[in-house]
Amino acid sequence: MPTEELNDLDIDRTRGDFRYDEKHKFDAGTGLSHDTIDYIVNVKNEPDWIREWRHKALDVFLSKPMPTHWASKDLENIIFGDIRYYLSGGQKPSRSWDDVPEDMKRTFERLGIPEQERKFLAGVEAQFDSEAVYSNIKAAVGEQGVIFCGSTEGLIKHPEIFRKWFGKVIPTGDNKFSALNSAVFSGGSFIYVPPGVKVKHPLQAYFRINAENFGQFERTLIIADEGSEVMYMEGCTAPKFETATLHSAVVELVALKGAKIQYVTVQNWSANVFNLVTKRAIAHEEAEVKWIDCNIGSRLTMKYPGVVLKGRKARGEVISIALANDGQHQDTGAKMIHAADETTSNIVSKSISIGKGRSTYRGLVHVPKHLKGCKNNTECDALLINSTARTDTYPAITVRGTGNSCQHEASVSQISAEQIFYMQQRGLTEAQAMSLSVNGFVNDLVRQFPMEYSVELKRLIDLEMEGSVG
Amino acid sequence: MSSLKIQDLHVRIGEKEIIRGLTLEIPKGEVHAIMGPNGSGKSTLSKAIGGHPDYTITSGDVLLDGESILGLEPDERARKGLFLAFQYPMEIPGVSNANFLRAALNARQPEGEEIEAVDFYEHLYEEMDKLEMRREFTARAVNEGFSGGEKKRNEILQMAILKPKYAILDETDSGLDIDALKIVSAGVNAQRGPSMGALVITHYQRLLDYIVPDVVHVMVEGRIVHTGPKELALELEAKGYDFIKDTLTEPVSV
Amino acid sequence: MSTALLEEEMTDTPAASARLLSAGPAAPGQEAAWEQFTKIPMPTRTDERWRFANVKDLDLSPYTPPQVIDEATREDLLARSRGLASAAGRMVFANDQLLSREVLSESLSQLGVIWLPLEQALVEHPDLLQQYFMREEAILGGQKFAALHASQVRTGMLLFVPRGIEIDLPVEAFHWLHGANSSCFPHTLIIAEERAKVTVVDYYESADANAPGLACAVNDLWLGAGAQVTYVCAQNWSSQALAFQINATVVGRDAHARSLFAQLGARHVRSESVSHLRGAGGRSDMLAVTVADNAQEVDARTFQIHEAPNTSSDLLYKNSLDDAARTIFSGLIRVDPGAQMTDAYQKVRNLLLSDDAEANSAPGLEIEADNVRCTHGATSGQIEQEELFYLMSRGISKRAAQRLIVKGFLQEAIDRLDQPVIGARLAEMVQAKFATHR
Repeated sequence: MPTEELNDLDIDRTRGDFRYDEKHKFDAGTGLSHDTIDYIVNVKNEPDWIREWRHKALDVFLSKPMPTHWASKDLENIIFGDIRYYLSGGQKPSRSWDDVPEDMKRTFERLGIPEQERKFLAGVEAQFDSEAVYSNIKAAVGEQGVIFCGSTEGLIKHPEIFRKWFGKVIPTGDNKFSALNSAVFSGGSFIYVPPGVKVKHPLQAYFRINAENFGQFERTLIIADEGSEVMYMEGCTAPKFETATLHSAVVELVALKGAKIQYVTVQNWSANVFNLVTKRAIAHEEAEVKWIDCNIGSRLTMKYPGVVLKGRKARGEVISIALANDGQHQDTGAKMIHAADETTSNIVSKSISIGKGRSTYRGLVHVPKHLKGCKNNTECDALLINSTARTDTYPAITVRGTGNSCQHEASVSQISAEQIFYMQQRGLTEAQAMSLSVNGFVNDLVRQFPMEYSVELKRLIDLEMEGSVG
Repeated sequence: MSSLKIQDLHVRIGEKEIIRGLTLEIPKGEVHAIMGPNGSGKSTLSKAIGGHPDYTITSGDVLLDGESILGLEPDERARKGLFLAFQYPMEIPGVSNANFLRAALNARQPEGEEIEAVDFYEHLYEEMDKLEMRREFTARAVNEGFSGGEKKRNEILQMAILKPKYAILDETDSGLDIDALKIVSAGVNAQRGPSMGALVITHYQRLLDYIVPDVVHVMVEGRIVHTGPKELALELEAKGYDFIKDTLTEPVSV
Repeated sequence: MSTALLEEEMTDTPAASARLLSAGPAAPGQEAAWEQFTKIPMPTRTDERWRFANVKDLDLSPYTPPQVIDEATREDLLARSRGLASAAGRMVFANDQLLSREVLSESLSQLGVIWLPLEQALVEHPDLLQQYFMREEAILGGQKFAALHASQVRTGMLLFVPRGIEIDLPVEAFHWLHGANSSCFPHTLIIAEERAKVTVVDYYESADANAPGLACAVNDLWLGAGAQVTYVCAQNWSSQALAFQINATVVGRDAHARSLFAQLGARHVRSESVSHLRGAGGRSDMLAVTVADNAQEVDARTFQIHEAPNTSSDLLYKNSLDDAARTIFSGLIRVDPGAQMTDAYQKVRNLLLSDDAEANSAPGLEIEADNVRCTHGATSGQIEQEELFYLMSRGISKRAAQRLIVKGFLQEAIDRLDQPVIGARLAEMVQAKFATHR
């Protein structure tokens, strides 16, 4: 491959790989204890109920074993005692980029966030380590009664909505990492969309880890009231550090009757990040929840977005793209819990494993007794490039009764040498041929992304593919 | 010298020698045909010239307009003006015909330049009409779910768009009914002219009724054993390949 | 054929009153297995390999070691051991005692085929047993039950088919379970040398269709280069039996194994089947048909391990579920690094006939080679109303129409055996099960 291509590639690949010196006013120090929690609560000035909640959650976290009996043994390499659990500059999130501290502003400018906001977003929240430094919603959207703020502000200013749903979709004890998040969460978004309000443009959050040995634990809660519609998009990057970084978020969505929520993630953490995220939605009657989840970065991602289909005719969907390159394990999937008649769910998962990369699909589909007219369709396709790559598929489907149908199909294929030769014969380089094939493989899914993100996604895939040939 | 010249070429697949000292020259502007029985190495020849990694060239050379292309990657050879119409065109799931062709054309543009979409489609539609291909083919994945005839037409379409200097058509007639054969042949004939040389590889004389060659070569066991005018094809058809095998013991070169 | 040798051994059979769990090994030489059995803990629900399973169903305490068969029972069971119209040979066992061994085809022994009850094989061909007897470890969660089998096995069928020999007619074995709470430990070991060809049918039957009992079976198939083995296991234990079946199939170069497990009887059956595609070009077809009703639980675990390149495996499991029946299918395809050009397919189809029926499917893939074609699929659905209506409009009762559709549904897997006579026999057994339903 010509050297100039390689250089281009290096520049682009490391778009998120830069950092600024740390100037943290608040630092909970390394390690995790009940004192850490008191420190966080005191700094954030949170009410007593949340203090109690956090302490309980820590006990649950400590009591739960690592899920290594089914999950990757790599989890054992997370040293909880070496992680810093809270870092912030102590400032309140600004409503204007002008008020954001200079180095943080430059960070987000380099990532193109203010530009995207001007172009096509209804609101933006930008989180730097533990706290949001910028949070703004377009005036017109705010006037419709839409609330878009950080989780701390949500729980302090809107307790009547916040407390009703917080921790109800994903209880503290759901898994070890949801318990950890419940103990030390900071940042993330709180969104409430009033009945009938359709937010035209997406709301976006951008999560940035800047500090080394740091754990980011944002907590997002989105409530779409009856008949409302909202799209939320999140992006994430971190610089490459020698040591492991932990990102462990909890995201809860509530779609009330007839509401629609779309949640889009483009995860591009650097290859030292453990990305262990719990995401779940409850869909009430005739509501629709769609998770569009794209995992390109991180060292180990474990994430299985789910929908509890609680109301009649509710609909859940997970669209997932994972790309695992050398040193990466994308362990992703979906959960669909059918809990009412005529609920439908759809899972489409495509993964690409390159070099020594490994991708895993885990699925859970549950249709219990006495429901009628429930349907699930699952498709998971894996593409392997190079014989050292690995892919696993572990679905689990339980169906009871005669009124329902579930269909699961999976395939594994590869890009053949003949295919590459054919394209090369038409004048494409091997790398171009590979990129074209991979984009062809994920094309139908990428189209479901919002335009701006699908362009970004294609670019990211191209970049990942460039270095992988040979 | 404007020609595609193959000099004393020896090709192996694994340990087995398939092409055993083949020499051939196709001047620009001419159409040559290679005929030969199954297993004579015809398809190996086209893949080897194209640079397929499974084929090892042990000696000899291939010169495109006087310049050796053996050290080049398959895509570099293609960009020099070499085109293979495959006997079994590959299916490429998810990649649309139009995107594929544009990518191939853009690969031929100077660094940083791309062809205009409007011009591209105008030209593409024009060529598709000649081959009686429906417009929907542009949006379909390359060769995926195409019938045998559609695949071959698609090969000729790519050739028309990429405008090679030298084209090698490997068993383009296989799997075609007579109507499809006529359309494909007309497509090839439309591209004949002083700026392109072509090598038509076929087992049957039938194709040569439609694509009339200037020169016919007979290939047996990895060598050209006989070369003659277009009438040679008819003779072969009538008498079979054995008559050539029987009459020749020594390889004949052009 | 005399069974004198066996009758001597029969006197060693423990008294019926003793409990299996305190019985100890069946004979000297089986102590290690017994120790292993007692050491390995019972499975728990949190063990991934027992996911979905009702592990509390697996209590072994009610059962006794194999009870002695009296002469009247012997006559009765022999009379009821109705095999195929033509077979090459037939053995009949009851509670792990050999009742009869009929050589139906003279040619068998002349061709060098070794076809013996295990205990006799142990004396006459110790090398064969040394080399092949339970050499593949149980890896799908049933180690404890494999160890129990190894500690208790007293007899069984060894079939050795030498190089190039083809046995046209099937070889059969009946395994009867008799007496309340008795246990039995059927064993089948098939070794087909290079280019050998043979078909074997095991019938698992209970003397009393509703007596509680325990059956813990092992059947291993070894295929040398180019060998072709078809193995059918027709499981029809009593409706109150607890059953285990542990199978390993080792497929050599260019060999072709076909196996079919028909699951008709038992209250709870756990079936583990592993195909090792060990030689390049090997192929294994893994088939199963299940007719589950009442509160039956049929728990099938499978593993297709591609250890060599150019191998293929094709699994089709078809489950029909009525009443409050539960089925579990948990299958895994693994393609080892270097096992390129692999084709591996896995399909499970569940047909639910009742609102209380529950089908669990977990079809899995683990692929570490890139030049492979692997697909798996799982569907769960019910009989289409339109289809039922169509049949009923032709005057067929709803019940009959349903059964017709179920039979048609199962037939796809049976047809894949490519053994019309055995297929017809299996269809008959399915029909018989329908006839006794409710």
